[in-house]
Amino acid sequence: MSTQRVVVDPITRIEGHLRVEAILDDSNRIRDAVSSGTMWRGIELILEGRDPRDAWAFCERICGVCTTVHALASVRAVEDAIGTRVPVNADIIRNIMFLTQYVQDHVIHFYHLHALDWVDIVSALKADPRRTSELAQTVSPHWPKSSPGYFQDLLGTLKTFVESGQLGLFDNAYWGHPAYKLPPEANLMAVAHYLEALKWQKEIIKIHTVFGGKNPHPNYLVGGMASAIALESDHAINIERLNMVRTLITDAIQIVEQLYLPDLLAIASFYPEWTQYGGGLGNYLCYGDLPQAGIDDPSKFLFPRGAILDRNLSEVLEVDPRDPEGIREEVAHSWYEYPEGQEALHPWEGTTKPNYTGPKPPYEQLDEQGAYSWLKSPRWKGHAMEVGPLARMLVGYASGREEFREVVGEALGRLKLPATALFSTLGRTAARGLETRLAVHWLLAEYDRLIANLKAGDTATANTERWEPSTWPAECRGFGFTEAPRGALGHWVTIRDGRIAAYQIVVPSTWNASPRDSRGQHGAYEAALLGTPMARPDQPVEILRTIHSFDPCLACASH
Amino acid sequence: MDRRLRETTYEVLSRHGVDRRRFLRYCTMITAAMGLPSSMVSQVVQAMESKPRIPVIWLHGLECTCCSESFIRSSHPLAQDIILNMISLDYDDTLQAAAGHQVEEIRRRLIEEHPGEYLLAVEGNAPTKDGGVYCTVGGQTFLDVLLETAEHAKAIVAWGSCASNGCVQAARPNPTGARPVHELVHGKPVINVPGCPPIAEVMTGVLTYVLTFDRLPELDRFGRPKMFYGHRVHDKCQRRAFFDAGQFVEQWDDEGARQGWCLYKMGCRGPMTYNSCSSIKWNNGVSFPIGSGHGCIGCSENDFWDNGPFYQHLAGVPLPGVESTPDTIGKIAAGAAAVGVAAHFGSFVAKRALFGDKESKPADATKDTGDEA
Amino acid sequence: MSSISRPVNSPPPGYFAQKYVWQWPIRVFHWINALAVLVLFSSGLYIWNPILVPAGEPWNRFVMATVRKIHFAFAMIFVVNFVWRIYWFWMGNNYARSGFPFVWRRSWWRDLFRQMVDYLKLERGHRHLGHNALGGLAYTVFVIGLGWLQILTGLALYSESNPDGFWGTLVGWVIPLAGSSMAVRVWHHLFAWGFIVFSILHVYIVFYDGQQYRNGLISSMISGYKFYEADDIDHDTWIS
Ligand code: HEM
Ligand code: HEM
Ligand code: NFV
Ligand code: SF4
Ligand code: SF4
Ligand code: F3S
Ligand SMILES: [Mg+2]
Repeated sequence: MSTQRVVVDPITRIEGHLRVEAILDDSNRIRDAVSSGTMWRGIELILEGRDPRDAWAFCERICGVCTTVHALASVRAVEDAIGTRVPVNADIIRNIMFLTQYVQDHVIHFYHLHALDWVDIVSALKADPRRTSELAQTVSPHWPKSSPGYFQDLLGTLKTFVESGQLGLFDNAYWGHPAYKLPPEANLMAVAHYLEALKWQKEIIKIHTVFGGKNPHPNYLVGGMASAIALESDHAINIERLNMVRTLITDAIQIVEQLYLPDLLAIASFYPEWTQYGGGLGNYLCYGDLPQAGIDDPSKFLFPRGAILDRNLSEVLEVDPRDPEGIREEVAHSWYEYPEGQEALHPWEGTTKPNYTGPKPPYEQLDEQGAYSWLKSPRWKGHAMEVGPLARMLVGYASGREEFREVVGEALGRLKLPATALFSTLGRTAARGLETRLAVHWLLAEYDRLIANLKAGDTATANTERWEPSTWPAECRGFGFTEAPRGALGHWVTIRDGRIAAYQIVVPSTWNASPRDSRGQHGAYEAALLGTPMARPDQPVEILRTIHSFDPCLACASH
Repeated sequence: MDRRLRETTYEVLSRHGVDRRRFLRYCTMITAAMGLPSSMVSQVVQAMESKPRIPVIWLHGLECTCCSESFIRSSHPLAQDIILNMISLDYDDTLQAAAGHQVEEIRRRLIEEHPGEYLLAVEGNAPTKDGGVYCTVGGQTFLDVLLETAEHAKAIVAWGSCASNGCVQAARPNPTGARPVHELVHGKPVINVPGCPPIAEVMTGVLTYVLTFDRLPELDRFGRPKMFYGHRVHDKCQRRAFFDAGQFVEQWDDEGARQGWCLYKMGCRGPMTYNSCSSIKWNNGVSFPIGSGHGCIGCSENDFWDNGPFYQHLAGVPLPGVESTPDTIGKIAAGAAAVGVAAHFGSFVAKRALFGDKESKPADATKDTGDEA
Repeated sequence: MSSISRPVNSPPPGYFAQKYVWQWPIRVFHWINALAVLVLFSSGLYIWNPILVPAGEPWNRFVMATVRKIHFAFAMIFVVNFVWRIYWFWMGNNYARSGFPFVWRRSWWRDLFRQMVDYLKLERGHRHLGHNALGGLAYTVFVIGLGWLQILTGLALYSESNPDGFWGTLVGWVIPLAGSSMAVRVWHHLFAWGFIVFSILHVYIVFYDGQQYRNGLISSMISGYKFYEADDIDHDTWIS
């Protein structure tokens, strides 16, 4: 048997440092795969001994791509521990900021991190601007920028760029690789939208700036939000600020419906074979999010909580993140050590003690028999799970939520695919688009809910009853969570005498990019790569497609 | 590749059919985008005519990538205008199309073929503990990658607080021994552009300044460009009138908060933070942390993570075993002094009571007015 | 330096003599300094925790600004006064130099320990006309040493609104030396308490010493004259 080993390090167009090693069989199919996170900062250790009210700021810096979500999980964890609940407005504002993050992050991922796996920009040079215009108008009849002149101009710019010999970011890539299937016109259209989306993404995040003062890394607050609402004040959230938010939301709906989804479906229709590969584990996990009646009532979350095992969409299993036997992290193949005799620890009992046993850099190859990653291996009741947009869409779908059934059904209908097509690389990429569609409409709904609540006379944004540490129990612990863009995110905190005694973070990309566990079960990335054929092992487009379909974030994953 | 390093922006543009008029219009636009007065247009034109486009290598170490995220939020100029028209972003793992050895090859080629000609932008920083194993790229430690790339760079831009002062991973106890660029690289000009992240227009402003005027900006004592870090957030803050008046937010969401009063008592770090937040503001002028009701946490300052807790005015002082404010330390010291004094006085009084004052009482005094010294 | 430790004409046993010890510049320095420290400390603490919250329009309320202005005004007084005292160290009489820690002289160390023992044993012990070694050390460390630190950190903070200005150019280097602007503040605040610790000990010891030695110590800082008795002639030997 062949043991050709393809090493891709760095995996680019992701956040952080990820290395993938794929072992091919004689027919260049991936027989085995190794996913390794090659960075670690020790944020969990840095948090120890600090004021729990500051924790959100440290946690938020785990990642600037999914900025906001760690801050959100952190304030929720601390609020859970000290037993405080936030005002309705704070819940809604947090939902609005959370959804804003989704829309921006998913669009960026599609156009700027994932698209080049499917779009050959060099081939775009051969496009006919007039035919591109026709294509664009068919795909997205309501998007205004689709005239032949527009594409002619773009083609000119692109030619200048390519002919100058300065390919910059596009240098040395896999242009002309047989795995690229789009016609030149579709490629040119995608390039246009790459630039449009880049220009637009800086607008939507202004919603964060309104409520959180900046983006990346807007401000959060234990007990609520710091942006006071005072409709009669010129120095707080007032009607002008609210109008800005509303305008940004309606513009975002345009982008998602006129650009992102049509492009996604158009590109997907050229790659039907990618509904065959990349399915991976078939186990899915969600914590749920978007509280409608407070954080304590998961049944009212817009994203439901639950788990699916073995692609069985007829049963959604109950998930309790506080259950000591539920979520547990292992370090059998990770560069950490656990206390003597411990194999798997629930995060409230978890420890983080680095212990590098990998090869001395510079190295050529990792050894998957030993420890090979800075990620731990989270498992749910012993199962390796996939988290993220696909998990959320499946859990929503399997829970019988109407809006999920609608968007999933419509997309499958348009592509003429069965529901099982979702268990794939393309399914994962499509699920991200579909949930963005849900998210952008929920964004408007949450905005309306905010206005309704303000109209009813409630303008409170912070609950300061438990602000002072003297009001806290001497020892307490809490769980905070969110459905981050990349999946289920949990923070578990223990507070003693007003200080953080222990803090453990289990991140979506930790689930997905995790190494094998003590029983040799692959993590989601590894599992998803198995069985994929590679056309040119030296040009790992196929690996990038599947890995990018998860939208990896390694700074998150290892933290 | 060779040709382009000698070619100026104007040459590239004119080779592609951009006429002189459009070129001048472009320069005017760029000038405005950099916030420069129109009297500077001719200098911009001259720069564009006489200088080749500079290759840029953008490295990522231990970081959160929010600096890249911030960069692409720039409104003037747009990030894409910089990437397509001003620089040649030849290496950047976050946005690069190629992966694996193909991308590392680009970096090696630049170092070998164009030493001293490329700009190195660093986001994040390097772990130095345990041989640097806490961050590797292509099997090589990031520390190595950084030093090797820095050695032949023309100049270095250290993006964000990670690269300029260590940031969150260097906060106590700094488990990976993370250190900022200027502590690791010597003998190269380093421009620190701190902030967590820096403001988008500050990032693009620093780049366009260097490219346009072909010189490094004037730096302050911490290696930060004075044009963006010359004054404190506090000195330009919209709540400053309330600070001077003594009108402070006392509690989140209180009446003061709703009236936009000063956040000093909520721990605002504006008085000790040099940044452009209160002048340029964030995300094309929409707001900034203080504008949206939360104090500044000092994200562009050295050690700001260890200068917490954030919600009190002064940093905690870490003493072995405890963390206290300078004020509690002072109170304890003053208390100890008072106790010492009281004990001494008590013994003195007791001694007098028991033994009396044994010294004889002199009768009179003579005066010596002589000042001999 | 002639011997200052030996009064020219010892009074007969049982009688006091009076000697002019503290020249007027010393006395003026002392009381301006004491006042400045008290004002600086209280205004400084107020700046740290501004407890008054005036209602009304901010444009005609300047509570915080006023307190800061007072702090800065007294800071400048403190600095000038401080420099003046240093000048008088050379220009004044020998008593103006008597606080200097002559660490290289054995006699100074002997006096230091003897004074500590005397204070602790609550005994009258030996006498001085100038500062005793312990007092001198305290003034040097707590007032001169701390004074420098407080002035440097204070001026560095003061320079922050205009880093390229006069003060910034003069003392701006303090900020990177301390690490950050926040660190400068923390030090300034810690040092402020140092003055209070000194003041508590100093005022008590002055009262105690005056009572114990009957040298008219307290009034000496007003009149300039200290009292001495027949035997008070063999001290401050480490100065000459
Ligand atoms: C009721 C308050 C005070 C009284 C009665 C008082 C009295 C005195 C006396 C009698 C001396 C001379 C002691 C000696 O022979 O060594 C002295 C010296 C001194 N005191 Fe005070 N003092 C007072 C408050 C303060 C305060 C608040 C400070 C400053 C923090 C201060 C700083 C000094 C200094 C620096 C000297 C040395 C003077 C020199 O050599 O220039 N005093 N004080
Ligand atoms: C014995 C002398 C002094 C004492 C006891 C003193 C005390 C204090 C205290 C307690 C603070 C508050 C610090 C904080 O919590 O932020 C402060 C602030 C300050 N002090 Fe002083 N100080 C002294 C001398 C000076 C001097 C000589 C200067 C020089 C100009 C100065 C300038 C300042 C400045 C600029 C501030 C900051 C004010 C602000 O942030 O608005 N101080 N001082
Ligand atoms: N994985 C991850 Fe995140 C997300 N989404 C965090 O929780 O990206 Ni940086
Ligand atoms: S400076 Fe702050 S924002 Fe930038 S990469 Fe570092 S942690 Fe992220
Ligand atoms: S809010 Fe902060 S920066 Fe603004 S005036 Fe108050 S203390 Fe200064
Ligand atoms: S926290 Fe940072 S973003 Fe500006 S206002 Fe303060 S420097
Ligand atoms: Mg963890």
